[in-house]
Amino acid sequence: MTPILEIKNLYKFFGGLRALKDISFSINRGEIIGLIGPNGAGKTTLFNCVAGIEKPTDGRILFTIDDRTASIGGRKPEVVTAQGIARTFQNIRLFDNLTVLDNVKIGRHCRTRANFFGAVLRSKFQQAEEKMIAESAERYLGFVGLKGRGAEIASSMPYGDQRRLEIARALATEPRLLMLDEPAAGMNPQESRGLMRLIQRIRDKGTTVLLIEHDMKVVMGVCERVVVINHGEWLAEGVPQQVQNDPKVIEAYLGRGAADAAQAG
Amino acid sequence: MDKPTLPNLTRGAKLRLGLLILALILPILPFVSDYMLHIVILIFLYMILSLGLNIVPGFNGLLDLGYVGFYGIGAYTSGLLTYHFGLSYWVIIPLAFINGAIWGILLGAPTLRLTGDYFAIVTFGFSELVVLVLTNEIWLTRGPLGLPGIDVVSIDLTLFGGPKWEFVGEIPYYYLALVMVLATVFVMHRIQDSRLGRAWFAIRDDEVAAVSCGINLLTYKVIAFAISAAFGAVGGSFFARWVTFLSPDMFKFWESFLILCMIVLGGMGNIWGVMLGAALLVSLSEILREVLPLLGLPVEVRFLAFGLIMVLMMRYRPAGMLPIPAVAAQMRSGRKKRKKEKPAPGLKS
Repeated sequence: MTPILEIKNLYKFFGGLRALKDISFSINRGEIIGLIGPNGAGKTTLFNCVAGIEKPTDGRILFTIDDRTASIGGRKPEVVTAQGIARTFQNIRLFDNLTVLDNVKIGRHCRTRANFFGAVLRSKFQQAEEKMIAESAERYLGFVGLKGRGAEIASSMPYGDQRRLEIARALATEPRLLMLDEPAAGMNPQESRGLMRLIQRIRDKGTTVLLIEHDMKVVMGVCERVVVINHGEWLAEGVPQQVQNDPKVIEAYLGRGAADAAQAG
Repeated sequence: MDKPTLPNLTRGAKLRLGLLILALILPILPFVSDYMLHIVILIFLYMILSLGLNIVPGFNGLLDLGYVGFYGIGAYTSGLLTYHFGLSYWVIIPLAFINGAIWGILLGAPTLRLTGDYFAIVTFGFSELVVLVLTNEIWLTRGPLGLPGIDVVSIDLTLFGGPKWEFVGEIPYYYLALVMVLATVFVMHRIQDSRLGRAWFAIRDDEVAAVSCGINLLTYKVIAFAISAAFGAVGGSFFARWVTFLSPDMFKFWESFLILCMIVLGGMGNIWGVMLGAALLVSLSEILREVLPLLGLPVEVRFLAFGLIMVLMMRYRPAGMLPIPAVAAQMRSGRKKRKKEKPAPGLKS
């Protein structure tokens, strides 16, 4: 089976700064895959390249659904979202002045069609669509555990709930691939356990999940495979335990001394 | 949006109903003079204009300093079509709307890629261009001589064997303006609670998150700009047939700024706030026109007063008199509540 996402020889330069160098890996359908690496390794840049926020300097990104492969490298973000890739952000980006429900409703944007005339005339089609948008938005809120809190203002919610809301909004775009950028950042252990369960439920619904995460408990707990990058380069790949004991990975995180010690032990 | 399942007995609905009834019977109240009606019509006109402008800074978070350009285009569209072709006002309204939208697209499509201040400068330049064209294209607009003697609005039923009724005095214009304000509010209200409105709010709050939800920024900004321009043009079309005289210096930059002040004063992004802002500033302008000479000051000092009001607003109530619901809620809950909430995250879930 073709992988859902294939990254081939991806390069990204910011002027003279090389953020990504020759990154290649692929993500299989229905997998929960972790992308880890020390701070500044280029994880978020990689996300941005896939999501269309940044244009890759070189290389290909292939996205396959239903046996149709599309090259999405350099496509506009709204196009990538419509193709079926959704994301969350490292520093939560919600629509702060809107209600929780409206935040999720906006996620439905790319799957709905009503325009200005529909809005003003309230055509039958528009009314039916609005009803569907509201219902499915409620459903996604329920799915992430925010049932009945649709009327709250997004920015007034506690931090952990904002993270969930962002996931609900991403799910509302009906993604085949969901990319989570440090979803457990700032969560307490109880919240991150809830998050791990949520990620598994998302996968069980048939969505492939790619996550950047620093919280190793979460990475080891949910990821079936882990890709490590360092200084913008591919470093290692494999099941979590194997990667955890890889001397190259330990060196990247903790320095050579720690890697030697680990090998000696 | 909280879906109102309750009957319209909320305080806000009662207030609105009361104001509507007051607006309907205002002209027949005994103490209301023609002068007062004139001022109220002016308020209505500025309500339409500020509601239209509100789409761009209030709903989309883009600064637009050239709104008066579209107002001028609408006014001259109306004036010239009446002058040369004698078109009925009822035909002119949609034409002015379309013409405004066209110019909105022509200006917006190439320039809305610009961000923030750069975009504001372009819009400012556009409105100056409109004034220059109106002043110099004498073959079309008669330039600084202005366009006098534009027909008044009339309801012509002669085609169906009925009478022809011309709008004389302020009362018919009053009701016409009232209907136009209500129509504008209706449209704004519906947009606000639709897929289009939500897309705009998303752009206002966070552009990166908006594109990640599949919203095409340029398209939606151009739509916003076009609709905003269209309402400006409709306001202009009314103005032309009401005062029956146009000249290029009616559409100077100052007007754009005044309308922007109304929005900021009333509450950017809030339909009712914007209307309140229009009412306050127009009335204040008239009051100052009377009061300042009594104090031995020139009438122009009122511009200083507006500036002072804006400074005070920015200092003490930056979100305006009637802010958008989220901001209002935050202001109500204030600091205390947020402190109480802080230890809570984590205990949920």
